[in-house]
Amino acid sequence: MILTKQNLMPLLRNLTGAERDVFVPTQVDGVSKFALMDKGTVPDFEQVNTTMPPKDLLFPQTQKMYHFDVDANGSYRIHEYDESREQLVFGIRPCDMRSIVCLDEVFLTKGFVDEFYANAREKLTCVCIGCASAAETCFCASMDVDPQLAPNADVMLQDCGDVYNVIAQTPKGEVEVAAWAPFVEEGVVEPVTCEQSLAVSMEGVVDKLEGMYDHPIWDNLSIKCLNCGTCTYLCPTCHCFDISQDMRRKDGVRFRCWDSCMFSEYTMMAGGHNPRPEKLERVRNRFMHKLNFFERRYGMSLCVGCGRCVEKCPVALDITRLIDDVAAIG
Amino acid sequence: MSGIEIAHGCAKGERPLIPQVCRVVEITQETPDVKSFRLQTLDGRKPFDCQPGQLGMFGLLAYGECMFVVSAQSDEWVQFTVKKVGLVTEQLHALSVGDEVSLRGPYGNWWPVEACKGKDMLFISGGIGLPPVRSFLLYCLEHREDFGRIDLVYSGSKYDDLVFKEQLFDIWPNEPDMHVHVSLYHEDPQWDGPVAYTAPFLETLELGPEDGNRVAVLCGGPSLSRTCREALVGVGFDEGHIITTLEMRMKCGVGKCGRCNMGGHFICLDGPIFTLEEIASMHSDV
Amino acid sequence: MTAQDTIRARARELLENGEVTTFIGWESGRFENQTTPLVITDASDADKLVCNEYCVNTLAKYARDVVTRGKVGMVVRGCDSRGIVRLINDQVINREDVYLIGVGCAGVRDRKTGELLKKCAECRHGDPVICDEMAGDAAGRPQPSERFKEVHEVELMTQPERSRYFEGVYAKCIRCYACRDVCPCCTCRECFVDQRRENWVGKQNNVAENRFYSLTRVMHIADRCIECGECERACPMGLPLMKLNRKVIKDLNDLFGEFESSMTLDEEPGKLITYDLVDCEEFM
Repeated sequence: MILTKQNLMPLLRNLTGAERDVFVPTQVDGVSKFALMDKGTVPDFEQVNTTMPPKDLLFPQTQKMYHFDVDANGSYRIHEYDESREQLVFGIRPCDMRSIVCLDEVFLTKGFVDEFYANAREKLTCVCIGCASAAETCFCASMDVDPQLAPNADVMLQDCGDVYNVIAQTPKGEVEVAAWAPFVEEGVVEPVTCEQSLAVSMEGVVDKLEGMYDHPIWDNLSIKCLNCGTCTYLCPTCHCFDISQDMRRKDGVRFRCWDSCMFSEYTMMAGGHNPRPEKLERVRNRFMHKLNFFERRYGMSLCVGCGRCVEKCPVALDITRLIDDVAAIG
Repeated sequence: MSGIEIAHGCAKGERPLIPQVCRVVEITQETPDVKSFRLQTLDGRKPFDCQPGQLGMFGLLAYGECMFVVSAQSDEWVQFTVKKVGLVTEQLHALSVGDEVSLRGPYGNWWPVEACKGKDMLFISGGIGLPPVRSFLLYCLEHREDFGRIDLVYSGSKYDDLVFKEQLFDIWPNEPDMHVHVSLYHEDPQWDGPVAYTAPFLETLELGPEDGNRVAVLCGGPSLSRTCREALVGVGFDEGHIITTLEMRMKCGVGKCGRCNMGGHFICLDGPIFTLEEIASMHSDV
Repeated sequence: MTAQDTIRARARELLENGEVTTFIGWESGRFENQTTPLVITDASDADKLVCNEYCVNTLAKYARDVVTRGKVGMVVRGCDSRGIVRLINDQVINREDVYLIGVGCAGVRDRKTGELLKKCAECRHGDPVICDEMAGDAAGRPQPSERFKEVHEVELMTQPERSRYFEGVYAKCIRCYACRDVCPCCTCRECFVDQRRENWVGKQNNVAENRFYSLTRVMHIADRCIECGECERACPMGLPLMKLNRKVIKDLNDLFGEFESSMTLDEEPGKLITYDLVDCEEFM
């Protein structure tokens, strides 16, 4: 099945309805992100990657978990929230789809299911658009992502120049595509090959890092890190969170919010001990988590090669250079 | 000699992030800054079933929650022993019997009670490190015939810092084949016993030859853990036969929020209990 | 000999002679015209140093972190040198902790568009205000005429318009704290946002908490801000942070007389941390 690019906007307008929220990549007040599509929204399907990753559709930066109050007998009551809604994200890229594979592993496996994530995940339909071209900072192909494929997307739209190949990949995707009938036609076209100028070799890097915990490379890297949270908040796979509460007299809300392993307070314990007191330990932990720890725990890299941190780090601390440097160590 | 096998990532549970409201049914002042709290559900039941060594997230809805090892349990309650060190624990210390608190869990793995059956047990801890160790010790005493000789080596900075004094001095020494050794780090007018740091104190004790049938259970601060490990290894202990329970800042309890990782392992989920042999193979910042 | 050649040669000498333990400058990044801060301890790395019109990072803040390792050599332009003056006047480092190689600066360009960066278009002091030696000549760039142009734009808004404008700004903030972490004035050992016990700022991301964080920071650096514009450049969300800094500076100018912070080592203490009987008290 194919969808012509002229039919893209008519299709999108047809998809928005009261029963679900549709998110598209767009500019909101100068920030490129996935935003709710309404009448005035101008989607931007040409930009390869949004500045903000789509992870907040599943894992909002601040998420109410429950609120509590005191009843007439002076007893606490907990009232739960489930603010999840049916959501369709249209135009998510293959690297970000891979990030959802990582997030699914974290939030849905190992004995405990995170219900907030699970509720949102269940109600999310993903229409992925493959990349015909890459940004300067894109290196997903080096991280085992094919820029025209995303096996976990419900619907895959492969960019073939003037048209998209439409591939329903899940039962949810089949239902979705069935409703697109007026806008699609029969056919298959050869997808455009996406050329990426940035490439790294992960060959041997995971294993090498295993023995490099005390290597001077971490000092060289961390010395210029500002320890801000830009890379972690812009990373589509970073998922650390804090749990805190907002109190008003006797009632309040317990919420969770994004947190960052770059912050000194992140691991600070009540007695004053901090197991990761300096930049070095924090930077090492972050990159080891991306390139080694997660691989060992879940069998995949926690870096998907989207390039957001490479693009936005205020001091150009570049994970691809780290990978190259590790690969170059004899 | 193969190490003691410890289960990891074995905790399972539904709705892990939502607490239940529980009631404080008994408070014991253990030391000037340590209190034990027994908790029940509002309808008088035990809040959750757990294995010795598992964790619970105990807190106050208005102030936050902290992770503690369940220090004791019965069919009706679970108990947490809390040292006043921070914002939340200060508020916990202000609780009275009957007050309502929040509790979720259990989390984490548990002491390898089955793997230790038939062994001699050497428990070593300092200060507020005893409550986690006690959960294992109490299990051994409840199943006394399953374990050999039991030694407890316990130290504190001063006499007031020793927790569970009644058990330490009156009850446990009278248990069959149980030997309690207590030292203080500093001279104290209330104390006429040994004054020594834990590791040198350990080295003075007549614990019998290390024949490979003894398991050490260790819990204390970083320096106690390091020095006692060296002392134990010095007398021939295999690191696989030294078990410890680790502590780090925790928020979720289920290996998702990120901060309590030690390499690719999460202390809240895969731990908190590891052998020193296992810890030696990890990328540890702890 | 270009300034870059001089810097490399002098960095090598300083490290070889043991006059400095570390040397801070820039090196090339992976991409065309990209640079990134470089901290070296080995004289043989001196040839990695670059100095060109794409060196976007202001280096001063690194002196704070690196000074624990011994005397620091570094390249300074106007912004870097004022950052160093700031650190010295705030008693974060000592003058003798740093050896400064000055370089004249005509402004830094965006590596993709080639355009002068906003922070550099607004810069009033391209040449170092202190240094131990110069590599090359001062640039002697003319100052932009309007220091408070952006502030005037905001002041012309009605109160509801301004309120809406800043709500929009803070709705975008992700609280990554890059603005704080890049700022040479932000040198508190423990920032108020990290004081969880006191909980000055909630960790939830919303307009109220984001605004509270940002305005508190603005007020805290008000009379010390060196106007390097690094906060605004570092912000991944593109927030107009210098508008706020300059608004406060303009107010201070109006209240206490024209001033620029961090121009000399013997500057007067900040206006907001000193008290004078003739201070105006409009509200009393």
